[in-house]
Amino acid sequence: MPREPGSKVSATVESPPPTIPAMELAVEAEGLVKQYRGRGGTVDAVRGVDLRVGVGEVFGFLGPNGAGKSTTVRMLTTLMSVTSGTARVTGIDVMADPDAARRRIGVALQEAGLDPRQTGRELLVLQARLFGSSAAQAAARAQDLLELVDLVDAADRRIKGYSGGMKRRLDLASALVHEPEVLFLDEPTTGLDPASRLTVWEEMRRINARGTTVFLTTQYLEEADQLCDRLAIIDGGLIVREGTPAELKAELRQRRGLHVDPTLDEVFLDATGRTRERLAGEVREVSA
Amino acid sequence: MSTVQQASLLGGRALREALRTPDSSIPTLLIPLFFLVVNVGQAGKIFPSSSTSFLEGQSYAAFQLPSSLLLAASFGTAALYLVEDIEGGYFDKLRAAPVSRSALVLGRLMAEAAKSVVITAILVVLALPFGISIASGPLGFLLLLVLTSLWGVVFAGFMQLIALKTRSAAATNSGGLVFFPLLFLTPNFVPRELLTRPMELAATFNPVTYVMEALRSLILRDLAWAPLARGFAVLAVLGAVMLALNVRLIRSYD
Repeated sequence: MPREPGSKVSATVESPPPTIPAMELAVEAEGLVKQYRGRGGTVDAVRGVDLRVGVGEVFGFLGPNGAGKSTTVRMLTTLMSVTSGTARVTGIDVMADPDAARRRIGVALQEAGLDPRQTGRELLVLQARLFGSSAAQAAARAQDLLELVDLVDAADRRIKGYSGGMKRRLDLASALVHEPEVLFLDEPTTGLDPASRLTVWEEMRRINARGTTVFLTTQYLEEADQLCDRLAIIDGGLIVREGTPAELKAELRQRRGLHVDPTLDEVFLDATGRTRERLAGEVREVSA
Repeated sequence: MSTVQQASLLGGRALREALRTPDSSIPTLLIPLFFLVVNVGQAGKIFPSSSTSFLEGQSYAAFQLPSSLLLAASFGTAALYLVEDIEGGYFDKLRAAPVSRSALVLGRLMAEAAKSVVITAILVVLALPFGISIASGPLGFLLLLVLTSLWGVVFAGFMQLIALKTRSAAATNSGGLVFFPLLFLTPNFVPRELLTRPMELAATFNPVTYVMEALRSLILRDLAWAPLARGFAVLAVLGAVMLALNVRLIRSYD
């Protein structure tokens, strides 16, 4: 039986989703709400998001344009005020102590936010200094990160001349200067060619293997399927699905009585009440 | 790390940015020089130094120089770079760091002060062939640099407010045009007492008047503390207001 779009489905129908002990949570949100006051009245960008991400997970956060993904990430990363609800990263309330939260998280947002007039090395050194490193520590950390993201040869060139893939890798490196416990990546591969995308995936896996929790928003379902331990789908400012990719596929298969596992694309379309035809022709304003 | 250390790091980056875009400094030098040449060319003969008491024996160019110095300090390029940071996403990267919100706005203002000192010094040197000398001597020249750069900080602070509020290069650029009415509602061509009554009233309520008179006193006379005190007082009040508004806006920036 088709389910009402927007109604929340837990991934496992037979048994509840595995609970994560409170001590091991890297990211936790309860009733997170964001309202904007615009000329046309109040806009509810996020309408009550509950999230629990375990330490060491790669957590995928999916949703159509304008669903509230970036707004949620901006609230979790202290870049945007919270209208109501609570958000914690590594147990720290992001509103009560934003600087403590900032020391524990790394952020790489949509459209790699870099200063084109600095060199890659200068950007990393400045970022490390702003996180409290001495000049010598910052220089050493910048060198390590340039090696990590394979940008040593381009380190002393201005960022203006970097390719899209190089900018993404540098952005990723700049989010890692202070060895964060949680890394927020907002659509890190949007606009990249397939080779650059694979390189970013490799970096993400390597970073996660070192113990960093990764909170990834993406519009590429294949990416989520490949990289994420668990994921949530947001639509209209509410979480409508949550679970591991396998659990979400199994739930849809069982509910629809399918003979084979559906793809994550089909899970996404089912969760958001969209059809392939509608998606192809859809133009929505991105509010965050 | 203290707010001042953080602001210094960000100010250093802003200065590097300015050094790497020298093209943006060319209008800052040429346009004020253009106004100096044109204004002196148009009104210089009306006010010969031999028979014009308010020139204190100097050329009319000396009387006009403060207008050009204030114009050069009022380009507010810091705010345009800030809009670029906002539009490009780098500002969010800085905001995601555990940096004092005040340092985020102070860094650029510190860089603007340093840039204003250099540009003012260059303009004074370029103005020397017009027969200008700084009558108040080396200390006066130093005070002239400080006064002009403080005005540069105040105006850049005003432009940053527009940048943070609108996040638009077009709106920020347009906001900078506010300086032109402020510049012309001053004793720009003649001392305040020679203005018509309505213009004199407008000039009296215009804070730029007091900065201009302080600069003019340093160029035309020996150190005169009364106009200097008024100039610095106006800058202190405006500076405090701009800084408070900038910090308030950055703290509520979403």
